[in-house]
Order: sequence, then C-alpha cells, then structure tokens
Amino acid sequence: MYGGNTHALRDVSLNVGAGEIFGLLGPNGAGKSTLVKVLLTVVKPTVARGAMLGKPIGDKKTLARVGYLPEQHRLAPYLTARQAVEFVAALSGVDRATRKKRAAELLDRVGLSKWMDRRVNVFSKGMRQRAGLAAALVNDPQIVFLDEPTDGVDPVGRVEIRDLLIQMRREGRTVFLNSHLLGEAEQVCDRVAILVQGRVVKQGRMDDLQREGSRQELIVRWSGSGASAGVGAQFAANGSAIARSLPFRGMNIAPTVLADGTHQYVFGDVDAAAAQPALAAAIATGGEIISLIPMHQRLEELFMKIVVDPTTGKAPPPGAGS
Amino acid sequence: MTAFTAILVDGYRELVAKKLFTLSMILSLLVVAVIGIGGLNEQGVTIFGFTIEVPMINSTMFTPAEFYKFMFNSVGVKFWLGWLACLLALVSSAGMFPEMVSSGVVENMLSRPIPRWRLYIYKFTAGLLFTSLQMAVFCLASFLVIGLRGGAWEPGLFLAIPLVTLLYSYLFAMSALLGTVTRSAIAALLLTILFWGFLFTVNSAETIVNGFRIGSVKECQAIEALMQKRKKENPDVDVSDLQTELERDQSTLSNLALWHRVVFALKTVLPKTDETTSLLQRWTLEASNMQDEGADDAEEVAATAQKQRRRGGPGFGNSRAKTSVVVAAIEADQRSRGVGWILGTSVAFEIVTLGVGCWLFSRRDF
Repeated sequence: MYGGNTHALRDVSLNVGAGEIFGLLGPNGAGKSTLVKVLLTVVKPTVARGAMLGKPIGDKKTLARVGYLPEQHRLAPYLTARQAVEFVAALSGVDRATRKKRAAELLDRVGLSKWMDRRVNVFSKGMRQRAGLAAALVNDPQIVFLDEPTDGVDPVGRVEIRDLLIQMRREGRTVFLNSHLLGEAEQVCDRVAILVQGRVVKQGRMDDLQREGSRQELIVRWSGSGASAGVGAQFAANGSAIARSLPFRGMNIAPTVLADGTHQYVFGDVDAAAAQPALAAAIATGGEIISLIPMHQRLEELFMKIVVDPTTGKAPPPGAGS
Repeated sequence: MTAFTAILVDGYRELVAKKLFTLSMILSLLVVAVIGIGGLNEQGVTIFGFTIEVPMINSTMFTPAEFYKFMFNSVGVKFWLGWLACLLALVSSAGMFPEMVSSGVVENMLSRPIPRWRLYIYKFTAGLLFTSLQMAVFCLASFLVIGLRGGAWEPGLFLAIPLVTLLYSYLFAMSALLGTVTRSAIAALLLTILFWGFLFTVNSAETIVNGFRIGSVKECQAIEALMQKRKKENPDVDVSDLQTELERDQSTLSNLALWHRVVFALKTVLPKTDETTSLLQRWTLEASNMQDEGADDAEEVAATAQKQRRRGGPGFGNSRAKTSVVVAAIEADQRSRGVGWILGTSVAFEIVTLGVGCWLFSRRDF
C-alpha cells in the first residue's frame, strides 16, 4: 500500500508451475514489477501468503535459488562484466571456483565472451542487458525473474534472448517473465496472467486463452462471372448482402462486405468440420470460396480487450486504488 | 563470508576507480616525505640544508626521534589524516549508500539471501577501507621515516590505523545514515560536514569553558593561598580586598561549572573526534612536562599576568594562578578522561547511528 490509501497490488493470486515460462503482462503502472519485488523481498507487502520453491514468500534463504534481472538494472560501472557477474554470484553465496566458471560460461552464452574483461561503463544498453541476464543465471537458479529482459536489445539480440528463455525451460528452470512486448510473450510463454490496476484480471494457459477467441474466417465472392454467377450475383446487385447468411452450428452467420466486394464470414471456432455446411451452402448458391482461414486470438487482441476501456478507449490509471 | 568478502572487494574496486583515492594516497605520501625531509639543529628546523629558526623547536629541546614523532602526530595525524584526509574520504565515499539504494542497483542487493542489516553493515565496513588503507600506507611510511631519520623504531605508530579509522567511522556512520535517508550523495556529504562542524563546535566550547573553569578553580586556590600567606605573616592584616576578589571568582566559578556540566553532558553523548586522535599522542609521545619557570609567589604572578594582559598575552582571565599551573591542570583533567569514556561513548553513538541506519534500510521499500 502506498501513501496510506493506494494499493499497489490487491487480491493477487497466482500459481506458477515448475519448469514453465510464465508471463506477467499489464499496462505501465499495473504493478508487475512491484509484484516481483514483493516475491523477492525488495518490497515488503502488507500481507502476502504463498510459497516459492516450497518456502514461504519472504524467506531469504530461498533467494539463493532464485535469479533476478530487475527492470532498468545497473551494474557497477567500475566493474568488468566478469567481475559484475561474479559479484552477484558471491552475494548469492556461490563459492569462488564455481562463480568464476559459471560467469565465464554464461557471458559466453549471452554473446559477451570477447567483452567479459571490459568495464561495464563502455557497454551499450543491449550489452548491459545481456550481462544482466548472465548475472541472473549465475547462481544456477531454479526460478528466474526477468523484468523486461529485451528492453534496449536489438532484434537479433531479442531472438537470442528468446532462445535463451526456451533453453532455460528445457533445463527445467521456471521463468517468470515481466513484459509488455506481447508478441514475445506469446511466442515463449506457457501461461500468462494479465495484471490491471494491481489485480489479476485474466490468467491461464496460453493455448487456452488463444482458443477462447479463436475463429475461422471464410471469404466468399458472390458477384462475378462463370460458375459463380447466379443467386450470389443477384445479391450483390441488390446490395442486400446481410440477408445472404450461411449456416454454422445451427445459426445463420451474416457476412461483412469487404472493400474488394468479397464477403467475410466469421465463425466462432476453428473446427473445420463445423464450417463444411456453410461451404457447401455457399458453393450450392453460386458462391466462390476465396479462403477459409482458422484464426487464433492474438495475445494483443486479448490484452486490448481486457485493458482498454471500450467506452473511453483508454487504459486505466496505475494502482489498484483505495 | 562470501558475500562480505565480495562487498569488501567491490568497495576496494570502487575506491580504486575513483581518482580521489589515488590523489589522497599520493598526498599522504607527500606529507610523510615533507616530514622526512625536515630535520633539527640547534637553531631550529632544517629543510634541504636551510635552517628555519623556530622558537622552542630545535635540537636542544627535542631529540630527532621526538621531533619526528611530534611531526607525525601533530602534522600527519591531527592535521592531515584527522582533517583533510578524512574530508577527502567523506567526499569519496558519500555516494556509496545513495548508490546502493538507487533504483536498478538496490533490487540486485536486496533480492539475495542476505538480511538487509547485514548488507548495510558490510557496505559500511567497505566504506572504511578508504581511511584504513590510507592510514596503513601513511603509518608504514612514517614508521620508516622515524626509524631511519630519527633512529627510533616505534611500532606504536601503527595504533594510528585503528584510531583514525575509528574517528572516520563516527562520521561515515552518519554519512551512511544520511545517504540512506536522502538518497543523495551531495546531501549526505553536506549534512555530514555540518555534523562534523557541530562536533567541533561542541568540543571547542567544552575545551574553552573547561579551561576557564579550571583557571577559575586555580585562581580561587591561589587567592586563598595568598590570604593565608598574608595572615601568616601578619595576623592583623586586612585581606578584605582578597576576600572580595575570592567571592567574585567563586561566583564566576559557579557559573562556569554549571555551563561546563551542560556542555560536557552534550559532549558525552557525541563522538569525540579530537580526543580520539589525541589518544595517539598519549600512547606514542611522552607527556610534555612543563617546567615551572618564574616565581611561585601569587602577587608576583598577578603582576606578571597583568603585564601579559596589557601586551595581549596568554591567560585564562586569572591574575594570580600561574599559567603553567592552569595548563598543567587542564592537561591533567583531559588525561583523567579515560580511554573507555572517550572511545566507549563515541562508539556507543556510532552503534546507535548504525542501528538507526540498519532499521531504516530494513524497513524501507525500494
């Protein structure tokens, strides 16, 4: 709670499984970073119940098995990348021999092998981010919290970091990813939660969430020449396309006329068999099937639906309010 | 221990990266070099074969070893390390705590399996490296200079390392607290210097008031002795003038004693920066025994004191007590303040300051 009556987070309940990549999404000020800070004892919550790696939240010893890349983290400018990573390892209680070995390995893995003995103050933002990732992994953590890991990283670097996340999952680590880059989250996350004004408004498996809004889009051309001419052509001529509906799961689906004159039908799931009666009806009445495309809900669409107020078209202000 | 060592090593790297540390180290060696270059002959102090006549400082008054020890203590420790080097250390390390609690850094520190209070104490200890390393180099160089030039090998000089580090730690504890609260290096530095100035003011006030108080005690004693002497010579003599003088001085003494109690109480709870470094003088230099020169007679002393005052000379406002007696009494009073009182009360203040800092650092959200 900030300032006495503003709740940064309220009634947040999450369940993150071992070995999965969990994405925590939300607009700026939703409380994503604060939630991670609560889990990692950087912020002390009014109340927090739960367990991380089998120990109560706030247990300091557990943090030896946790990695963390804070948002806009800063490594000491007077240290080399190797020294900075080793320093973080030492704070986590990693012995000297192990931290030396792991620091070199990880810096190599994030593409800084030639830079590991250069001071961090000459690094670009992307290079610092890579060094930070190495530091987050140096204590061989079971769970890694990454707060905007691709912030400031070039496209090639982003792909490399995405591969690194997948590799972490393969190694059995749990990755807790805070991001507002929905495309990236969509590509790597097994499960996501969307946080708005300090509350979790949606969470679930990525494929379930995608399925929720999945659909098929059928494009039919009614007008034109040859075999397609007939009833369809009469429709186009009459301008009464809305009346030309097609059957889908016992309902009649009305089309939308697109700019090129074709008609778009949207069916409520991706089951191709369910679309067969509509295809048959369209062909039978002289329609030309242009395409039938299964469409999964994009994370961005889901996010916008949840976050943006449909009446104002704006995202809500930060914080959970009083 | 892994984390503690890592924070110490990190602190060392941070210092080395700062030019001020290197500059301060060079200046320390220069100060020792200047002390080493100097010498003594019968006329005064010699530098590169030239003689500078300095009253009371020549080879008839001091042996070479005493001269170098005196220079080490008064110029090296009291002036350079006790003031200037401490100031440079404060400037250099004022940013340590604000940097540690800044966004992007503090998260990495606090999300580790170390209690916050330990992080605070580890960082504080790392901050003392500046002074302790500098003191180590300074003392080693001074030890060699005094040994080679003065012919006295004085391992007691190395006591300066813990003493000056302790003196700096009083100030750095305050700097750490202020840096944690304000999160600003400039604010921490300026407020710490202000605090140091306050300590200096309280110490000076106590020294001055105590000087006058002791002077007044000695004055009363001198008047009483004079009254007895006159009565002994002539039982019928009128000493009402002395009686009036005595009553006036006793009244002054009463006021001074009250003020001294107040200032002394304040000083007791605060760190004693000056007295901490003075301990080195106690332990490494012989006490300067002032010789009683001149008359013992109180009337003669009064006449001499009047002459001195007319010339604007020294005195504690007393006209009958001998200056040397007063000075000796002040020195005795200062020496009566035990090491336990000087260091114990100072360290107690430091522990409280550190405790408040740890408490704030542990409670705060970052």
